[in-house]
Amino acid sequence: MQVSYRWLERHVDLSGVTPLEVARLLTLHVAEVEGVEPFAAHLSDVTVGHVLERTAHPDADKLSVCRVDVGQGEPLQIVCGAPNVAAGQRVAVATIGTVLPGDFKIKKGKIRGQESAGMICSVRELDLGDEHDGIWVLPGEPEVGRSVAQALGLADWVFEIDNKSVTHRPDLWGHRGMARELAALLGRELKSLDTSLPETGSGEPYPVRVETPGCPRYLALPIDGVRAEPSPQWLRLLLLAVGQRPIDLLVDVSNFVMLDLGQPNHLFDRRRLAGSIEVREAREGELIQTLDGEERRLTPADLLICSGDQPVALAGVMGGELSKVEGDTNELLLEIANFHGTTVRRTAARLALRTDASARFEKSLDPCLALEAAGHLVRILAQIQPSLTLPSPITDAGDWAVPSVRIALPGERVRGILGVDMRDEQIAAHLGALGFGVAIDGGVLTVDVPTWRATKDVTIAEDLIEEVGRTVGYDAIPGAKLVAEVAPPPRDHRRELVRALQDRLSGSARFHEALGYSFQSNDLLRATRGADAAYVEVINPVAEGESKVRRSVLPSLLQKLGPNLRQRGDVRLFEIGKGYLPERRGERGDPAEVHELGLALAAPRPAANARFDAGALPRLRGVLDDLLHVVGAPAPEWRRAAADLPGWAHPGKAVEAVTTGAGGGARVALLAAIHPEVTRDLEIDGDASGACVSLDAILALDRTVSDYRPVPRFPGVKLDVAFSVPAQTPAADVAKVVDHAGKGLVASVELFDVYAGASVGEGKKSLAYHVVLQAADRTLDDKDQRKYLDRLERTAAHQGLELRRE
Amino acid sequence: MTQVDFDDLQRTAAERIARASDEEGLRAIEREYLDKGGVIAGLLASIPTLEPTERREFGQSANGLKQAVQAALADGRAALAAGRLAAELAADDFDPTLPGARLERGSLHPLTQVRREVEDLFSSMGYQVLDGPEVELDYYNFQALNIPVDHPSREEQDTFYCDREHTLVMRTQTSPVQIRAMERMTPPFRVIAPGRVFRNEQQDATHEHTFHQVEGLVVGHGVQVGHLTWTLKNFLTQLFDREVPVRLRPGFFPFVEPGFEFDMGCAFCGGKGCRVCKGSGWIEFCGCGMVHPRVLEAGFAGRDDVDVSALTGFAFGFGLDRLVMTRYGVDDIRQFMGGDLRFLEQF
Repeated sequence: MQVSYRWLERHVDLSGVTPLEVARLLTLHVAEVEGVEPFAAHLSDVTVGHVLERTAHPDADKLSVCRVDVGQGEPLQIVCGAPNVAAGQRVAVATIGTVLPGDFKIKKGKIRGQESAGMICSVRELDLGDEHDGIWVLPGEPEVGRSVAQALGLADWVFEIDNKSVTHRPDLWGHRGMARELAALLGRELKSLDTSLPETGSGEPYPVRVETPGCPRYLALPIDGVRAEPSPQWLRLLLLAVGQRPIDLLVDVSNFVMLDLGQPNHLFDRRRLAGSIEVREAREGELIQTLDGEERRLTPADLLICSGDQPVALAGVMGGELSKVEGDTNELLLEIANFHGTTVRRTAARLALRTDASARFEKSLDPCLALEAAGHLVRILAQIQPSLTLPSPITDAGDWAVPSVRIALPGERVRGILGVDMRDEQIAAHLGALGFGVAIDGGVLTVDVPTWRATKDVTIAEDLIEEVGRTVGYDAIPGAKLVAEVAPPPRDHRRELVRALQDRLSGSARFHEALGYSFQSNDLLRATRGADAAYVEVINPVAEGESKVRRSVLPSLLQKLGPNLRQRGDVRLFEIGKGYLPERRGERGDPAEVHELGLALAAPRPAANARFDAGALPRLRGVLDDLLHVVGAPAPEWRRAAADLPGWAHPGKAVEAVTTGAGGGARVALLAAIHPEVTRDLEIDGDASGACVSLDAILALDRTVSDYRPVPRFPGVKLDVAFSVPAQTPAADVAKVVDHAGKGLVASVELFDVYAGASVGEGKKSLAYHVVLQAADRTLDDKDQRKYLDRLERTAAHQGLELRRE
Repeated sequence: MTQVDFDDLQRTAAERIARASDEEGLRAIEREYLDKGGVIAGLLASIPTLEPTERREFGQSANGLKQAVQAALADGRAALAAGRLAAELAADDFDPTLPGARLERGSLHPLTQVRREVEDLFSSMGYQVLDGPEVELDYYNFQALNIPVDHPSREEQDTFYCDREHTLVMRTQTSPVQIRAMERMTPPFRVIAPGRVFRNEQQDATHEHTFHQVEGLVVGHGVQVGHLTWTLKNFLTQLFDREVPVRLRPGFFPFVEPGFEFDMGCAFCGGKGCRVCKGSGWIEFCGCGMVHPRVLEAGFAGRDDVDVSALTGFAFGFGLDRLVMTRYGVDDIRQFMGGDLRFLEQF
């Protein structure tokens, strides 16, 4: 919303208060001013010129060559194409170098062979209106050589108010409301404004029937004897300053009253009405053509102004094409109504038709304002066109009451919340300046809210405390150290877990944390083979097909692999986030929330002779083991995962970590190679695996502190053992044999080679382990080692495993 | 008998050892004099052929020669080692500009890093860090926060609704955690709730439909406006590690009364006015205010142990993304969710 400094001055004396000071006062005490701009700054660069002589252009019929005095040096020769230019006129001259609206820079040049040292401007060229059928002949005799802005007193400043900061203030949507605030802040008087209705004739009041509670008040006043002519300059300039294009007197005055008092209004051509007005709810599917030329289909939630049964306006939003005031009318009907805010807002929102009128009505306007606005409008119109007459008294229809709110406000409460030491009388004075009626009785203020604040805005004591606080100024409130008896916050295991995981991953595991959107596109879900699952869905997504709320962080994480892999050799990503499962809902219908760590790793495919643990899956497995250890989870059992696999997982290459012991038994982590179709669709050109870890499952575990073992006092024996086994034998089973054969002496078993090739034979593979034998009470020797190997060979052979001894 | 000139032998050996340029040379001399069949062994072997009276003196001289040669060899080796050390220390084959081995590293998202700082600062002031659901009941996101059914901010263009009945929404703010905190905690308490929020906005360099907020709530007895300003000023001063000027001005949020916009002095121009602060010298930091009585009533509804009329509180909510963008100079908010490693690995 734009507010003009000069317009404000009609309502409050701003002498000595600069526009910047006004902006500061409004920002700190009333509403957010987003910008302060001089109005039509280019008018300061355009000079008042005096046309000394006009002669016809020797070579062009429609051009004139003028000698124009611009108050400096020799008169300028300017070629002008306007038919109305004449000697003796005062005109607006843009001299060489001046930049006009539209970034139009005036240059020296020749027009049809005649030198031209500037331009004589039209109203449109100065962005002051649409007239372009001739130059702008300046009124009166402004001083030659001065800027047009100064000479004509056009200088103005425009404040851009953030509409969001005044959504709760129906009274601030007009200049008078803003001026009322400034008057209170400056300790000056709000200028009086005569809004009484002039004497009317004794004709029949215009018949109005209001048949809906959505219209508490409807005023109708016939007006005769006015013509739609161009508005006077003062009116045009004020409208232009706040971004309104002047049209003609009737439209302009209607707009002026809305922008002045904040009360929308409408002028009908009375000759085109059927003799009565009816305000009713629209019928389902009823059509109206609004003034913008659009045909609108309505529902019973919308309100219509009808002439007879014929819709002539969409109440509170926009007039209809049918009763539009045409140029030749001199019989008008003024409508000033009060509509229910929510009803208007819903209609405007549903039709995507937010107008200046609907923006005001939806704030819940004061019904008393309607009559004031009627008087104001008639008086301004009559002042410009004294021929105006009012043939009959005003019709005042509808069921409305004067808004009335009374609040008991203990002075102590004001002081307590604001922390400012002020007497009850001072509180009363601040409220009084804003129009509140205040009586003090024994420490309690009884406050009557003025009608323009009483529709919705001010209802409780805290609202009044805000009024006092902001007029006093929040900078007057000193900071106060917050001391209270607060027990130290309890330990937050979830946050500790998240941090431990993040730190380990971004640290020694060298993963990068990425964040993914909660909304996942249908394309992505198809590509990650998750489209069939149930999802929480938003009904109004940002884009078609992006309505689903993620169940898991994996799909968006996997999506990030491909593009990054094209940039570099090794991509390691993780995200800790939430997923939502609609099939499990709480009592109130809220979907179950899962907290998940997702991991994704992609790298070029390892070479054929690379170690068995060089690929993405074993690397991720190593990371997972480390993470589970770090967060104190008991060592999990890893086993083939067959059921409950996410779509992105390779069904043959999936494992799950299940913890045993107290709180265990649940899947803590799932690790899988990425399904070949997924790597294809996501264009991951490499070896990729993913994993998800359930934070909820970890938190449910009985977590241990690190399982410390004393450092061995006696040296151990290191040896390598290799087996030739059937290709299907799980390496972990062989490791168990290696371990058990030691009868407690095996301190560690580490697989270091897996080999399947001609030398081990068809259907076989070789597994090789580093083994450390250790005893707590003595140094082991060759004999112990020999005994161990013998035992290992026997037990292995028992299970069909061949220990290879060389 | 043959006359042996031990002095000459010793001098000759010493000279040869001194001339030897490497261990190889020393070894050759060592072999020649000290090995079996060497010069000294030969001398000692000749003793039985001598006159008995000469044997003792000859033997002593031969042993003296042996010791002298051994000592000279040790000196020679020490000199060689010293020479090698001196040469190694004097070598100029070191290129000080060679790069170090590249350390593969991981990274924490910048939002996480700043979020942690925020959490830690508030934790140190006695705040508990709370979490709340991203798919939220309308009741918590709106109704209980004094945002009635017809409030403009509930328009579909702002809010993502998860069902036709509008009972579930993608939370538009972290404020619903205020109500969840009141439901399960007993005043006085202080909490913050960082998290992800959603608004139905078209994306561009400065707008995201998914962003992050930090909610703050303090409820107790005698909580005043001044406590709010002190708390936020103190927080910002610690976060930015410098004195941050702040100001309150009127702001409208349905769940606070009075409501404020909280500005901090522009760090880029020091308050003089620049492009970042649009010439005002101030940057909007957050919306805040004193908790609306209706919000307290909703949050503590049905609690016999809490006298709502005796409580006051303040609440604030600020955007984390903007804070991070300001700190690192990130110019496109979409980078945060983009997952491009060339962005992520810089943090």
